[in-house]
Amino acid sequence: MAYSCYITFPTTFFAIRAESILKKESTIFKMVPVPRTISSSCGTALRCKCEDINSIKNTLLQNDLELEGFYRLKEEGLKTPIVEELDLNDL
Amino acid sequence: MTYKNEPCGSELNLYFDNAATSWPKPEEVYMAPERQMRQACGNPGRSGHTRTLDADRLLYETREAFAKLINVNDPARIVFTLNATDALNIAIKGCLKSGDHVLYTAMEHNSVLRPLGGLQRDGHITSTMIPCSSTGCPDLDFLESAYQDETRLLVINHASNVTGSIAPLEAMVKSAHNHGVMVLADAAQTAGSHVIDTASLGVDMIAFTGHKSLLGPTGTGGLYVRPGLDLKPLREGGTGSQSELDSHPESMPERLEAGTLNNAGLAGLLEGLKFIDTTGIETIQEQEKMIRSYLYKRLQELPGLKLYGPVSDEPAASIVSFTIDNTDCGEIGFILENNYGILCRTGLHCAPLAHKAIGTFPEGTVRLSPGYFTSTGDIDYLVNALKEITTLIQK
Repeated sequence: MAYSCYITFPTTFFAIRAESILKKESTIFKMVPVPRTISSSCGTALRCKCEDINSIKNTLLQNDLELEGFYRLKEEGLKTPIVEELDLNDL
Repeated sequence: MTYKNEPCGSELNLYFDNAATSWPKPEEVYMAPERQMRQACGNPGRSGHTRTLDADRLLYETREAFAKLINVNDPARIVFTLNATDALNIAIKGCLKSGDHVLYTAMEHNSVLRPLGGLQRDGHITSTMIPCSSTGCPDLDFLESAYQDETRLLVINHASNVTGSIAPLEAMVKSAHNHGVMVLADAAQTAGSHVIDTASLGVDMIAFTGHKSLLGPTGTGGLYVRPGLDLKPLREGGTGSQSELDSHPESMPERLEAGTLNNAGLAGLLEGLKFIDTTGIETIQEQEKMIRSYLYKRLQELPGLKLYGPVSDEPAASIVSFTIDNTDCGEIGFILENNYGILCRTGLHCAPLAHKAIGTFPEGTVRLSPGYFTSTGDIDYLVNALKEITTLIQK
């Protein structure tokens, strides 16, 4: 059983801008299609380790990015993951 | 690699029509659209797979490259369009409201005059033309007296496509902002060949085309919109985001981009932008200034030629217009191509008011527009051809 965290974006522009900004840092992340269990305005999401999501959020907000949602997914093989939406203010 | 004015097809052509569209392009500009279609052919924003992401990345990189060129921090403020005309329509129709008054200069292209004319004929707006001198310089005293309570927008052609005259953008933006009026600059003839420092100019909107000095393919262009200025979209539709809503996304750049973009063309534009970045915009501006100055001086040697626009060493886009008394400019253009393989543009160049300002309406002029790759040798060949033509005319 593993956990992954996801950040979603209002538009593709912000998803790609996030990737462009984070590439310049040592952060480990991947741009992925938004999991079906998450509702998002844009089809591409950022997946990262849950311990990194707070610092990634801060980096992106410092660069004036618009972010949509934050999620923690409990993943078990190909089973539908269990989704927990994270409150932006809690991070 | 050097890019020479090489033969086009089987005949020797010397290309003096860069103000219409630039040629030659850097080799990479020709290759990138094919590479884009073969290797990154996903539809940006529409799917999550690798090819789509590659296409998204290409758009982002192109936006970022253009933002850097015109000194804009946030690439979200750069919107891709079909060309400068499209960008100007989006800007004009997106910012004006019924009852607004618009100022524009006599050097404007039909891409400004026709949208404004249409809005005026339909009773939505009123407008006033700022007259220009015979060298194409806007009358700044007239501008100061032309503002009305309803004036919302001043449209300025950064460089005339007829004479190459450069408008005093900085002073005009300052004047407009002092009166609470927004400025739209048409940079069709300057983006890619002149330093445009958007941050220091404070201009509200800049329209550009990809296929002239930016050295990209036709069908590419864009619009810069300053932060805080929300234009009403001219087109609404698919963006790949917020698909559950029946209203168009409000955030930039999607706000002003509907439907699939010209990814293949923009891949070429990115290569043009990279060429400009590598070469240096200052180097390009200096080279074009030198070549225009050389062209102007050599044309002055020819008796019978009347030259228009800024004189030899004054700031100008790389354009010189001329006429020969009692001679049809179309005929001169025909002889230049037919007898000498020299390509140029004759007539009104879609800017009738500019020709009225410089006194060449309705006949027009012969317009010569060398580019970054034009050599002094190309100009010597052109001048020799014109020498023979003027000798023939004088007989």
